[in-house]
Amino acid sequence: MSSKMRQLADSSLEKIASLEKRLSGVLKPIKPRKEFVHGVAHRIHTGPQAAFVDRIANWHLVAIVIAGIFSLVVFLAVVGRVLQSLTKKRRMA
Amino acid sequence: MPETEELEFLLRASQGDLDAFGVLYEKYVERIFNYVYYRTGNVHDAEDLSARVFYRALHHIHTYTDRGVPFSAWLYRIAHNLVANWHRDRSRHQEIPLSDAPTIHYKGEPPEVAVMQTQERDALLRLIRQLPSERQHLLILKFLEHMSNAEIGETMGRSEGAVKSLYHRTLLALRDEMMESDMEDANLQSFTGQSD
Repeated sequence: MSSKMRQLADSSLEKIASLEKRLSGVLKPIKPRKEFVHGVAHRIHTGPQAAFVDRIANWHLVAIVIAGIFSLVVFLAVVGRVLQSLTKKRRMA
Repeated sequence: MPETEELEFLLRASQGDLDAFGVLYEKYVERIFNYVYYRTGNVHDAEDLSARVFYRALHHIHTYTDRGVPFSAWLYRIAHNLVANWHRDRSRHQEIPLSDAPTIHYKGEPPEVAVMQTQERDALLRLIRQLPSERQHLLILKFLEHMSNAEIGETMGRSEGAVKSLYHRTLLALRDEMMESDMEDANLQSFTGQSD
């Protein structure tokens, strides 16, 4: 390995080592709030309600399903109305 | 808590013992919170998602079977899925707010040095959050949990060699991103300097 290549490799290793040092300085454990920890613990001990809360947490999925059903109903109503007016016109002709 | 004792709590929890699940919750809540916090970047969402991880775990604990993989790996899998959903829901937003990030106080440093260190920290965290999720997961397990490559492999379902290789590639990618980001900052500074 030429001295230039070695220098490059050394500087790269140094940069990696310094990056690891920076990462260990940045990624430090954080204590969650006591109120949060106790609140969740309390809900866990109340049992089935926790599962209910989890399901409610997916409210956006429920909203999408309801919106989908509503859109389908509106679409079917429009198609029905169009078909109805077409048959009326045909009868008139 | 020894592994055999944890297995006992797991067995009891899977049979519907809420107290046993509570013990497991106490053991893992901080780790899951930290994982979610560093993946989302804000305390509010970290609390919300961490709570949901444990509610979901409680809801599905009866399906948990011990296949030699640590219980924490199962929890991390749930957390990973919830965080992925969270990112998908928020994909329209370009920036993740860091305003409510807890400030780490650097003792004995003058305020201007502390501000610079906080800015550097935020910039590095932003770059970490731009990495693919499994690389973020790896860094969190490595630097927060201080896990060995073998332990990380167990948690992530990869071999020790694959973890080692992924870790090296992650550091190289992060180094390149940092250099690019530094160059962009330098260009911006020279541009604003010229326009003044």
